[in-house]
Amino acid sequence: MQHRAGQVVLAVALAALVAAGCASSAPSPAPRAADGPLRILSLTPNITEILFAMGLGDKIVGRSNFCSYPPEALAIPSVGDTLQMNQEKVIALHPTLAFVITRRGDVIRTLESLKIRTVPLNSDRMDELLASIRIIGRETGRPDAAEALVARIQAELAAVREHVRGLGRPKTLFAFPMTIGSAQMTVAGRGTFVDQLLDVAGAENAFPDVANWPQISPQRVIAFGPELVIVNAVGDEAAADRQQAIRRAWANWTSVPAVAHGRIVILTEACLTIPGPRVGLAARRLADVIHPPAAADTSPPAAPPPATPGEAAR
Amino acid sequence: MTLRPLTARSYILTVLLWMFVWAVVSAGALAVGAENIWKWQSWEQVHNVLGLRLYSVLSASAVGAALALAGLALQALLRNPLADPYVLGVSGGASLGVILSSLWLTVIAAPLFGFIGALVTVGIIYAVAQRRGRLEPYTLLLTGVIVNAFYAAAIMLVNSLVDPARRGDIAYWMMGSINTFDPQWKIVIIVGALATAACIAFALFAKGFNLVAVGEDTAGALGVRVGRLRVVTLIIASLVTGASVALVGPIGFVGLICPHLLRLAFGPDHRRLVPATFFFGATFLVLADLATRLLEGIGGQTPPVGVLTAMAGVPFFVYLLRARWRKAAELR
Repeated sequence: MQHRAGQVVLAVALAALVAAGCASSAPSPAPRAADGPLRILSLTPNITEILFAMGLGDKIVGRSNFCSYPPEALAIPSVGDTLQMNQEKVIALHPTLAFVITRRGDVIRTLESLKIRTVPLNSDRMDELLASIRIIGRETGRPDAAEALVARIQAELAAVREHVRGLGRPKTLFAFPMTIGSAQMTVAGRGTFVDQLLDVAGAENAFPDVANWPQISPQRVIAFGPELVIVNAVGDEAAADRQQAIRRAWANWTSVPAVAHGRIVILTEACLTIPGPRVGLAARRLADVIHPPAAADTSPPAAPPPATPGEAAR
Repeated sequence: MTLRPLTARSYILTVLLWMFVWAVVSAGALAVGAENIWKWQSWEQVHNVLGLRLYSVLSASAVGAALALAGLALQALLRNPLADPYVLGVSGGASLGVILSSLWLTVIAAPLFGFIGALVTVGIIYAVAQRRGRLEPYTLLLTGVIVNAFYAAAIMLVNSLVDPARRGDIAYWMMGSINTFDPQWKIVIIVGALATAACIAFALFAKGFNLVAVGEDTAGALGVRVGRLRVVTLIIASLVTGASVALVGPIGFVGLICPHLLRLAFGPDHRRLVPATFFFGATFLVLADLATRLLEGIGGQTPPVGVLTAMAGVPFFVYLLRARWRKAAELR
């Protein structure tokens, strides 16, 4: 019975907190954000980028631990991430509108219960990304900015597509670095956002199946025989000794055409896997390594050049 | 317990028989995998795939032999049929050492850190579980449980501090996997050499193990220097466990399954058990690794080999525990 009483006290205290937190917003359960001052909670890096690109950076009151671009975003207080959110921090920040990318109903329910209008978005594919930008524009009352951003992205992608028209489509594997034990490697499957970027940049994904981000064994990499391998080494993995280790590990598999022709490219840009305003930039970067302007320029400037540029070896 | 004298000839024949079994299984594991090697398109591909499988076979052999011997020695010395580097937390200690070294140091430092982690753990377990120099079986197991819990927490702590992208990799590695993109031949050679050395050392200690099994006081009265035997054996067991974990991660229950199956077949004489365990451990892990590759052919994903050994080992552990209870009830 005492236990029960304790729960009631706790619930009342919580309700009071929530009420205090939402004092400035309208009383309805999911108020339209445009009614009051806009205070946005952005729980994924790509949404934070989109908001900044639409000129809404100063409206963001909370971000996730992973939102690190643009650099101004780092000044915004972090509330953890979508699945491990510090609810006390969220309440303290008084957000009125939250954007999440999740299929977890409980996350959305939790945020709604805090009287925050919560908009779930998708960005697994390019069309979902563009649709999400339009939804963000509608929710924040900036449909024109959203349309402008969509048009810019479409124009950039079209330019890259045009740039690689008529060139060959090398079989390309987009992989993450293998780490401790190196037992498995995560690669981009068909149907992912990165798969679509490869398509725009004039390459065919070497991983043949529709899959999200499969983990594959060395034997399968040998079987796929990619002509180009792009390793996306971000953060700690971008360190020079780690890059060297990645190159050394790949050098073992001489039957892979990409290895035989020195076409293992390590890219250190995080934006390659962030479906946000920089997708055009990412496509351009991929196109540059898939179809290098000149044979001597196959390696990215940040990484040491591969042993022999492909064309010279042949 | 009467033990027939073992002639050099029968000893050599036993070793040759096991060597033959191991060679046949290894050859099979080279030829059969997710895909038959004859189906690969170019000689280059066959060459790469054979190299990969040879690496798997040799590292599985070295690790299997090392872990099985460590299990056999711990069971003999601690006079506890349920002792195993994984169950007692020795592998956990080695894992923590290897993970820490992998964050800041080069690959080749991993076996050293694995060894330090394993040795510290053996020391802790021994200090906690012993009472007046004697080890109570269930106290030992409980100590293993809490030591494992501590290492699991410590590894989780490291895991939560590293780059989020690496968390999945550490979790996967903690299950123990022989597959690799980055063959570490040097470490395979280290583990193989250590396992061979351990086999020779334990073969020399075999009589001591047999007498300790009867009773430590009896063994002491018969001239076995029990204290020295204990220290040297524990160090060797820690060495091989640490090096194995550095190579493939913590693979469990090999040290439990192999010695016991051999005891069922050959009885308790360590003069036979030591070489048999060496080869059978190697064969066992090569087979388990082959099974993971065949599963890859079916499902497209390779399960870590530690998953298979644990799934086979846990029921076996339960069986041993129940058998022990039955025996205890009969004695009463």
